[in-house]
Amino acid sequence: MIDVILSTMPFLLEGLWMTFKISLITIFFGSLIGTVVGMLRTLDYALITYPLGAYIHALRGTPFLIHLYFVYFMLPATGISWLQLEAFPAAVIALSLYTSTYVAEIVRGAIEAVPRGQSEAARSTGMTALQTMWYVVLPQAMKLMIPPMGGVYVIIIKGTSIVSVIGIAELVRAGEHATQRHPRELMLIYGMTAMMYFAYCYPVLRLARWAEAKFGSVRLPS
Amino acid sequence: MPDPAPIIVVKDISKTFDIPGRPPVHALRHVTNHVDKGEVLVVIGPSGSGKSTFLRALNGLQPVDSGSIVIDGVELTDPKTDLNRLRQGVGMVFQHFNLFQHKTALENITMPQMVVLKRPQGEAEEIGNRLLKRVGIGDKGGSYPSELSGGQQQRVAIARSLAMTPKVMLFDEATSALDPETVGGVLELMKDLAADGTTMVVVTHEMGFAREAADRVTFMDEGAIIEEGIPESIFDNPQHDRTKLFLSQII
Ligand SMILES: Nc1ncnc2c1ncn2[C@@H]1O[C@H](COP(=O)(O)OP(=O)(O)O)[C@@H](O)[C@H]1O
Ligand SMILES: [Mg+2]
Repeated sequence: MIDVILSTMPFLLEGLWMTFKISLITIFFGSLIGTVVGMLRTLDYALITYPLGAYIHALRGTPFLIHLYFVYFMLPATGISWLQLEAFPAAVIALSLYTSTYVAEIVRGAIEAVPRGQSEAARSTGMTALQTMWYVVLPQAMKLMIPPMGGVYVIIIKGTSIVSVIGIAELVRAGEHATQRHPRELMLIYGMTAMMYFAYCYPVLRLARWAEAKFGSVRLPS
Repeated sequence: MPDPAPIIVVKDISKTFDIPGRPPVHALRHVTNHVDKGEVLVVIGPSGSGKSTFLRALNGLQPVDSGSIVIDGVELTDPKTDLNRLRQGVGMVFQHFNLFQHKTALENITMPQMVVLKRPQGEAEEIGNRLLKRVGIGDKGGSYPSELSGGQQQRVAIARSLAMTPKVMLFDEATSALDPETVGGVLELMKDLAADGTTMVVVTHEMGFAREAADRVTFMDEGAIIEEGIPESIFDNPQHDRTKLFLSQII
């Protein structure tokens, strides 16, 4: 058993590294796009909020696998040269867009949960809409975003396994390979795989908890 | 004595709230009024009569449908007017204080000065501490809003507005959300400001304050000005039935 662990470990670690890379890049870009989309959605301009609402509902209402196929198989079929994506960038793009829809809704919800009186007070001192957002609304909304954001990140980390379908050797894929070489050690190998996910996700959850405690739960005026 | 140069001129403003599926609400109907420099105008009237809408129109928080508002020579209702700049000169105090919850009392006062007026932190803090003393809570600068009583929070909110050296201060039921024992102190502070020559528009249900501090009282009902005059004439000799009814109910 030890020799199975030793021989598959490097292999699995490589898969973990790939999962780590994809999820971090995805979380970064997904959060960036999602934050911008979420903030824009709180504006009062139908010309902006309608298309963004359509974007969010289109992506959330369809399976991620379709997005992945779309980016990896269908875009190249257009023949346009810069749309000929390798598996890795295709996976990261599809995952980032998907993640951004969840982040956007969290950001929008948190911003809208900050009482209107806060921004009215800021505006009445002469602060611009942007200054109000930056100095008054976002700092308070941030505290409301942290707990659900941690939850989304963990779902994304675990969800990256689906990109194995376009040939990316991430952790689950690496585990599958290992089971082909040691068909009688299914339990052991999948157990190791699960442990590695856990070792990655658990600190993220703890971090979200810690951040929530550190920044305190906000006391919003009634 | 008020200097008879109007700092606020309101001409024939109207505002209707149209919510689909409900009858339209005429919150303001052809309201015309003015406030002179150093004058204290008190606006009274039943709930829903348009007092808040009128006050919020004066700093552009509530856009109006028609009519014009001029603040110190600048037409607020002109679409080309820079509202952010205009609002620097119009302080507003809210019923629910609306202190920035993530900032201390002192930071509530310094932040707008630094962000809007670009004052250096040292100067903003000096002004902030001086104003905290003036409103009677010089030792509370480091407290967060959640650690302060309603009365203390409202004092901070008043100081926050004063720090911008406004030409006019607007008060929307500033004592309505306070515990009875803290109402008096905040009203005293508002009287002090009035005595110092601050130009003020005050929406309140505190008739004692209106009688004592107002230069002029405006009675509103259903979005219109029904009657106005010096406190003695409104309170002791009201001309309209609606004014009489309102006063009989509130006292
Ligand atoms: N943002 C709004 N949307 C819809 N109706 C409003 C809004 N603001 C005020 N109103 C309505 O306008 C009328 C006047 O309100 P308001 O100015 O708040 O009265 P007051 O301050 O005298 O109690 C009320 O009927 C109120 O319901
Ligand atoms: Mg009101």
